[in-house]
Amino acid sequence: MPIPVALEKREFRSTASKLWSEKLIVVILATSALLTVLITIGIVAMLLTQSLEFFRSPYVTLGGFLGGTEWTALQAPELADAKFGILPLLSGTMRVTIIAMVIALPLGLITAIYLSEFASRRIRAWLKPTLEIIAGIPTVVLGYFAILVISPSLQLFSGGAFDTFNSASAGIAVGILCLPMVCSLAEDALQAVPRSLREGAYGLGCTPFETSVRVVVPAALSGVISAFLLAFSRAIGETMVVALAAGTRATFTADPRQQSQTMTGFIVEMIKSESEFGTVQYYSLYAVAITLFLITFLMTLLGQLIRRRYRESYQ
Amino acid sequence: MSAGQLRTAAEPKPVPAALQNPDAAAQSRNSDRRQRNSRLFYWLCILIACLSVLVLGVLLLSIGVQGGHRLTPTLLTSAHSELNPEVAGMWPSIVGSFFVLLVCAAFAIPLGIATAVFLEEFQPKSAWLNMARGFIQLNIANLAGVPSIVYGLLGLSAFVYMFNVFGQIQVNESTAWVIAGEQRFYQVRSLETGQIVLIPQSDPTQSKITITGPIRGVDAAGNPVDIEVWEPGTPRPTDSEIKRRTVRLGATGGAYSERSWYFFRLPLGPSFLAGGLTLGLVILPIVIISSQESLRAVSPALREASSGLGATTWQTVRFVSLPVAVPGILTGVILAMGRAIGEAAPVLIVLGAAISKDSGPQNLMDNVVTMPLLIFDWAGRQQATFQELAAAAIIVLLVALLLLNGAAIYLRQKMQQA
Repeated sequence: MPIPVALEKREFRSTASKLWSEKLIVVILATSALLTVLITIGIVAMLLTQSLEFFRSPYVTLGGFLGGTEWTALQAPELADAKFGILPLLSGTMRVTIIAMVIALPLGLITAIYLSEFASRRIRAWLKPTLEIIAGIPTVVLGYFAILVISPSLQLFSGGAFDTFNSASAGIAVGILCLPMVCSLAEDALQAVPRSLREGAYGLGCTPFETSVRVVVPAALSGVISAFLLAFSRAIGETMVVALAAGTRATFTADPRQQSQTMTGFIVEMIKSESEFGTVQYYSLYAVAITLFLITFLMTLLGQLIRRRYRESYQ
Repeated sequence: MSAGQLRTAAEPKPVPAALQNPDAAAQSRNSDRRQRNSRLFYWLCILIACLSVLVLGVLLLSIGVQGGHRLTPTLLTSAHSELNPEVAGMWPSIVGSFFVLLVCAAFAIPLGIATAVFLEEFQPKSAWLNMARGFIQLNIANLAGVPSIVYGLLGLSAFVYMFNVFGQIQVNESTAWVIAGEQRFYQVRSLETGQIVLIPQSDPTQSKITITGPIRGVDAAGNPVDIEVWEPGTPRPTDSEIKRRTVRLGATGGAYSERSWYFFRLPLGPSFLAGGLTLGLVILPIVIISSQESLRAVSPALREASSGLGATTWQTVRFVSLPVAVPGILTGVILAMGRAIGEAAPVLIVLGAAISKDSGPQNLMDNVVTMPLLIFDWAGRQQATFQELAAAAIIVLLVALLLLNGAAIYLRQKMQQA
């Protein structure tokens, strides 16, 4: 680490005026730190007030919103016919997310194990940048990849059983997107496991497989779980991939071959339709958004708290 | 009796079968199996690790094949064309992305670094402050996990409509407080064919004017002129110079506004300013977290040396910690900008889905198209040409990202050498 010029010149002066301007600077810096809290407050306040407007409408009930199995906010010609039940959107989100997790979690974890336990320096030098590039690919590009390559391949291999837009192709693309995130967070957790545990396992005659799967991964379990939770929350909030590849019909099924509109997909659809400000449909946007926010917020919070615990346990 | 008991006691205890007859074959089978499993797992790891390289390869290859031949100068210089996709291009979106990123950087970078400095360098002096610091830290980690589309909605409320503080939002148009840069006129047709005169608008609520007598106005070039009135029935002026500044009695004119580049109003509306600020919110947590990590990597010995020389905390930050941490901070910031340049969802919500703009922003309140928005729109269309154009635009976007990341690596190496 190079030594800063100021330290070599040794010309600091803590005069009274400097101390005053120091106080001013601290106030400015503290304000900017507090602004981040203000952003959270802003998000919560905005979502609460706007979605309150939605629930105040005579066409909507809280029970119907949470338990309804039909969502036709944009399709219904008359407001009285529109059904606002979140379950189809939630099921769409869950289908995409579960498929994404089925891909990202095992692949990400195994790649992380490989990187942390086995990979030689040369392979690391290739694999890490590749994962970083995948992590940096804009999501709209992955959405395009889903409709260009993934969906046609699925149709080809299944003999046309998949719709053009389906939750499986969106899920796979979201999985690709989450993989680097799972991998890098899990690798951090695996590398935080002390060397002595590995040496102990090898000393007892464990094979490399047994050492990594029965000793290192369990020791890093909280970190791995937190990586899973953060990736899960990322997948739920993913927007552009599902807006492009998952379709626009809100379906309440578990079939990944069908079209599915997710919560984020609906928000994009709503914005694209340029619905009038102040209508029930417009406010339904915020009701969906607050549901989305609550789920991702809880997941992230849990993930962060677990992450902090494991960090403390090995330091 | 007792002797017999003794004898039995002295007899060697029956040794368990496994020990008596060590089944070397079974043990070595077991060991072989475990070794085999381990090797299998090793190859599985390699296979899966290669899979991610393969996916990246397929992705780049398929997009290259799909869009390579659309990568023409037309694509880079012309604007989107609804009817004629063959000549459609993405120039306005490149300019748009640039301006949005500029605003985003100007907003998020200073704020993010200031927050990181505050959290890392100014140690809390009481338990209560320490708790507050922990809370802010957790809050930032949570903000990083908030879906970007939610930031889009926040941007819509906070920047586009500004919580309706400056007037209730009407259907599809907002009343606004114009701060600067707008001149409003009525346009009235003069006697010379195709020429108009402009009359300054004094009452903004009046959207029309009816000419009842001579009035002060300006000509098309902006010079003040006296506008004369011709009453139908009286002889019509013949000189074209006079006809130019003469209007018919009872002629009407509609309102029209001329906006300078510094036109500014509140709320911001769907402008590139609002878009950039919203993107700034999205990347703020990333900037903070990466700056914090760079500051944390600065050796405490340097800070202690600085304090030992009599520097205040801020002097230590300004002259010691920040200069040492700058390469790391810069890398983090550029990576965050890479995230911002590809982010589509929040921009879509703030700026709307229209992509028909044919130029960059004309004033501060102008709407723009960004590259991801254009790609999203083109990729969602049925026509094969637009699909190919989307792929070509993706190539341009990826090249822009590559340049950004290359700049990050270059800067880091350069600064570490210095």
